[in-house]
Amino acid sequence: MFDTVKTSDLSHVGKNGHREDTIEKLTGEAMYVSDMLLPGMLHAQLKKSPHARAKIVKIDYSKAAALPGVRAIVTGDELDYRLGLYVVDKRILARGEVRHFGEAVVAVAADTAEQARAAVDAIEVEYEVLPPVLHHMDALKDDAPLVHPELGSYDYMAAAFTPKPGTNIANHTKLRKGDVDKAFAESEWIIEREYSCPSVQHVPMETHVAIVQWGKGDKVNIWSSAQSPFTVRNLFCHAFGLSHSQVRVQVPYVGGGFGGKAGIGIEPLCAVLSRKAGGRPVKFQASREEEFSLLPCRSALTYRIKTGVSATGKIVAQHMTMYWDSGAYADYAVNVTRASGFSASGPYEIPNAWLDAYTIYTNKPYGTAYRGFGHVEFHWAVERHMELVAQAIGMDPFVFRLKNALRPGSLTMTGEEITEHTGNVIKCLEEAAKAICYGNLTDEEKARQKKTGWKIGKGVAALQKAPAMPPFTATSVVLKMNEDGSVLVNLALTDYGQGTYTSVRQIVAERLGFPLEKIKVAFESDTDRDPYDWQTVASKGLLLSGNAAILAAEDLIKNAYAVAGEILHCNVCDLGHDGDKIFIKHHPKKSVSFASMAVGHALPNGNGVGGPLIGVGRYIAQGLSNLNKEDGQGNPAIDWTYGAHGIIVEVCEETGEFHVLKIASVYDVGRAIHPEIVRGQAIGGMLQGLGTAICEGYIYDQQGRLLNPSFTDNKIPTAKDLPLEIECFVVETPQVDGPYGARGVGEHSMISVAPALGNAIQKATGAEIMHMPMRFEDVWRALRHKDPIDNWITKSPIGSCRSAPEARPNG
Amino acid sequence: MKIKVTVNGQLYERDVLEHKTLLRFLREDLGLTGTKEGCGMGECGACTVFFNGKVMNSCMILAVEADGATIDTIEGESRGPSLTDIQKAMEKNNSVQCGFCTPGMVMSIKELLQNKAKPSIPEIKEAIEGNFCRCTGYVQIIEAVLDVTGRSKEKGELKHV
Amino acid sequence: MVYEFRYLAPKSKAKLCAMLLEHAQDGKLLAGGTDLLPNIRNGVFRLKYVIDLKQLPGAASLKYSQQDGLILGPAVTINDVLRNRTARRLYPVLCDCAHELASHQIRNRATVAGNVANASPCSDMAPALLCLGATAVIRSATGQRTIPFTQFFAGVKKTVMLPGEFLEHIIIPPAASPAAGRYLKLKRIAGHDLGIVGVLGTLQDGKRRFAVSSAAPTPVLVENVAAGDDESTVVKKVLAAVSPISDVRSSKEYREHMIGVFVQRLLQEVQ
Repeated sequence: MFDTVKTSDLSHVGKNGHREDTIEKLTGEAMYVSDMLLPGMLHAQLKKSPHARAKIVKIDYSKAAALPGVRAIVTGDELDYRLGLYVVDKRILARGEVRHFGEAVVAVAADTAEQARAAVDAIEVEYEVLPPVLHHMDALKDDAPLVHPELGSYDYMAAAFTPKPGTNIANHTKLRKGDVDKAFAESEWIIEREYSCPSVQHVPMETHVAIVQWGKGDKVNIWSSAQSPFTVRNLFCHAFGLSHSQVRVQVPYVGGGFGGKAGIGIEPLCAVLSRKAGGRPVKFQASREEEFSLLPCRSALTYRIKTGVSATGKIVAQHMTMYWDSGAYADYAVNVTRASGFSASGPYEIPNAWLDAYTIYTNKPYGTAYRGFGHVEFHWAVERHMELVAQAIGMDPFVFRLKNALRPGSLTMTGEEITEHTGNVIKCLEEAAKAICYGNLTDEEKARQKKTGWKIGKGVAALQKAPAMPPFTATSVVLKMNEDGSVLVNLALTDYGQGTYTSVRQIVAERLGFPLEKIKVAFESDTDRDPYDWQTVASKGLLLSGNAAILAAEDLIKNAYAVAGEILHCNVCDLGHDGDKIFIKHHPKKSVSFASMAVGHALPNGNGVGGPLIGVGRYIAQGLSNLNKEDGQGNPAIDWTYGAHGIIVEVCEETGEFHVLKIASVYDVGRAIHPEIVRGQAIGGMLQGLGTAICEGYIYDQQGRLLNPSFTDNKIPTAKDLPLEIECFVVETPQVDGPYGARGVGEHSMISVAPALGNAIQKATGAEIMHMPMRFEDVWRALRHKDPIDNWITKSPIGSCRSAPEARPNG
Repeated sequence: MKIKVTVNGQLYERDVLEHKTLLRFLREDLGLTGTKEGCGMGECGACTVFFNGKVMNSCMILAVEADGATIDTIEGESRGPSLTDIQKAMEKNNSVQCGFCTPGMVMSIKELLQNKAKPSIPEIKEAIEGNFCRCTGYVQIIEAVLDVTGRSKEKGELKHV
Repeated sequence: MVYEFRYLAPKSKAKLCAMLLEHAQDGKLLAGGTDLLPNIRNGVFRLKYVIDLKQLPGAASLKYSQQDGLILGPAVTINDVLRNRTARRLYPVLCDCAHELASHQIRNRATVAGNVANASPCSDMAPALLCLGATAVIRSATGQRTIPFTQFFAGVKKTVMLPGEFLEHIIIPPAASPAAGRYLKLKRIAGHDLGIVGVLGTLQDGKRRFAVSSAAPTPVLVENVAAGDDESTVVKKVLAAVSPISDVRSSKEYREHMIGVFVQRLLQEVQ
């Protein structure tokens, strides 16, 4: 909406306005759930599994129950509930069997944290340790233990997912387009390779925390550090069989989420403790270690891609198999598989495509949404693959990318046609390449290389992502005018730092024609008081809530005009307004102020007209469809945001050490509503992507115990880890149905940083890295085995065609 | 154990549990919840406060050790109606996203600028190295420090192409 | 901290020694606490008593004399050293190692004595103390003993200190000319991190020394480098003195390789 208006003609949109939430965060006044104390509140601590897979033989908490201050102890046996967003496979506490290291087994609530801890230490759990299934490829073997033998009895969203009972496959997503066999037969080249990456932790600075009070009459109050208050409420009510009117979820300031606080988390755990403790509020805050192993992470991925290329360098066929390691539960991870499946080629046209994507259960901490929703992981594979295919056929990887990039008229893998308005990945690639002087070294770089002896290389990688959400995802915004004519905006999309509220505020001010100072977006979200929003995920917030905000502003104005017409005795069509008042266009002195109408207008004789002014805006995703479960065809994407990164790296060949000298990132955002916020998302996501690329990832021992569940051995980037130079660009191809042409960019900045780095390292040194993170040691190892380690070119016009690497089991 | 401690210029006399960290004492006993816990292990810096004039991780100090000490927290930063220069610069430069690391970050920057009027970019990075921020990627925080020290020209910007 | 314990803060060395003896099994010494308190938090140490030494007279004293050299009390922090002009001028190697230790906040709190008394294999201060020929003055109820740091470490997280003893002073001897040197620490990120390996190379009065951290059960000093040794001989000698392991931070193979590379770099850089 309003995508064709020039930014220079707008008052607020496109400008760097004040961020409303900054002052309280800078002064420490912002109240997070971790800061909250309620009268009579109890503190919870957990007894967790030291094993990856074990039968719970016996739990003895008699000693713990006798300790001072202990008010409730709960075990899985007394909780016959299941939780889950898409596949309902998770219990509140382990029941009968533990399925991963760190899983909660017994929960205690006591007057103090010390008492709860002492009680947990006094609980004895007897386990019968069972052989775990740890690697997701092992989980596919015929004799693999089943993580969920009862998979066939679980509820799931049948329109989108296909679990395979009797196996460890929680979901199988298929996509079939064109005739792959024929296209491979006609290919000049066939190149097949495999890429992988481990599980990674989101690391919100505020760990998961909730306070729940299960009051009399089953009235439940929840305060949670969560991304999606309405989804917490919905899943909570489903699990406990409560009416939605009995449960209230409040979300104050949230200390980061990145997908890890989507869906439902620890709220049910606090709830059952509160219920057992007679309704006293119970608070549980995960320790940093619990954040790593009790709470979900990002799934690991093994991605095998086989590509057929024509003599001219066009991709004609691609066979893709994704093996997603969801860990012990797949309630959310199945949708990562689905969304990754329909986007699996990256921003390239694949005329003949065949994809199988599996979500696989293992006995490890479980996967969930994480910024990029699978796209960080599979773009690692796709964009490394594009590099290696180009190398194999003797074409420059950048040229190869441009040749195969999506452009107007291209069909995506699900059959959606790309138009002039979809966004311009080619321009993103070109600008990224330009910003790093791709293709050659500057004199300065040559001099530096000579001086240091470290090799400099440059790489690019492109990216795409559409929001992954049900096709009927909806939201709403309510505007309420205050007595002084200022406006309060209510919405249940949460702003945990992305700055969406600031952008919504700009949009509302723009559409109302009001000064920014007159608009306030209420910061805390509350299911009892805010209008519905599905979830704050998927980079869909700005588009859906921005549109709802525009519609709400129009509704407010319409309602105000109706009252003003009555007061001014004129036709509504003759009215105009400014930030203070509504006036008759041809008699501008005849006017009525918004303030005098805000809560109902009093005529001179005391008669009342109008009433409190409210504007309502509802927006639902348009034109999306379920994907056909057999061939994956359909329309899943409300918008595609494209982008590209260019990276300059210097590498020491002797040791594998490297420094990122520069990163240039380009995104087609449609319109930058608030350029500095866009830049904040761009840089913040880029550094998170660099963390994934260089150092982050779960490391397990042979028994499935997580060896690095803390910042001691799971480092995240610090200020010192920034590339020396960072540039951020936006392309603005307006999204026709986006608010002022905008589309989301919250997740995209994290995607494809890793392959851009991998490509640059390869350019500098020849190191072929197929697994991330790329630690110095990994680069060093890759450099010592420069020859390809498998016979990965299976068909070539110039040489012998050796056999493909051993085929993987495919379930 | 009874302690006397000056926090943000105010003297507090409190009986405190001996195993309690300074962080928990500030948050639970004094209600100063601006200082956050991000890891409890001295790695992330969300709990950074001034202890006798130097920044430290309050999660790794016992409250009883603060007997007789002077502590300064984020709540002491803008006791008047307006923000301090550092806070203003961070507000202006979009240096805050989720805000959880922000109070600790402000403390570290304050100590840096007390010791050095015009720190270089590497010096700024070193000063905030112990303050993890998962949202911002640090750049706009560093730019706020440049801004407050009169070097706003060195800042980057979003480029439209 | 959700584990309860009592806090003791003796004001005299005699009292401290008595407490250490009495609580040899259920107490531990607190200086900067940057190692102790995380270990208590994680349940690694289950203690009844934490005994703070910072109230001892002179605990934070940092003195230099031409006769004795640099004398550090047990509460001298890493940043105390870095802020000290004399230390920076006469012991640049000490400061180089100090600067590589953790983050600024930690350096404001962590002590030099604590960093070696914990006897972590990845101690950053130990390499400096080893190369500079520092000695540990160990105090007990019955008296004092002085041992060189080459004999101070007994194994992973173990020193030769007995129950009832504490590290009263660290003495770094004076030198006619400051040792030249550099500490190369390989980390997973550029920001604060434990070392994958750390190698300090010094050159003082024509004598080369290397000290290696994170590569053996204890920090290791290599002194048998002769002036005429070529690079590969020196690397061999250093590698012969260490016994790196594979863990989550690195493989043994890479550690060995990097120690070799660092030794070579130091041979070229430290002149």
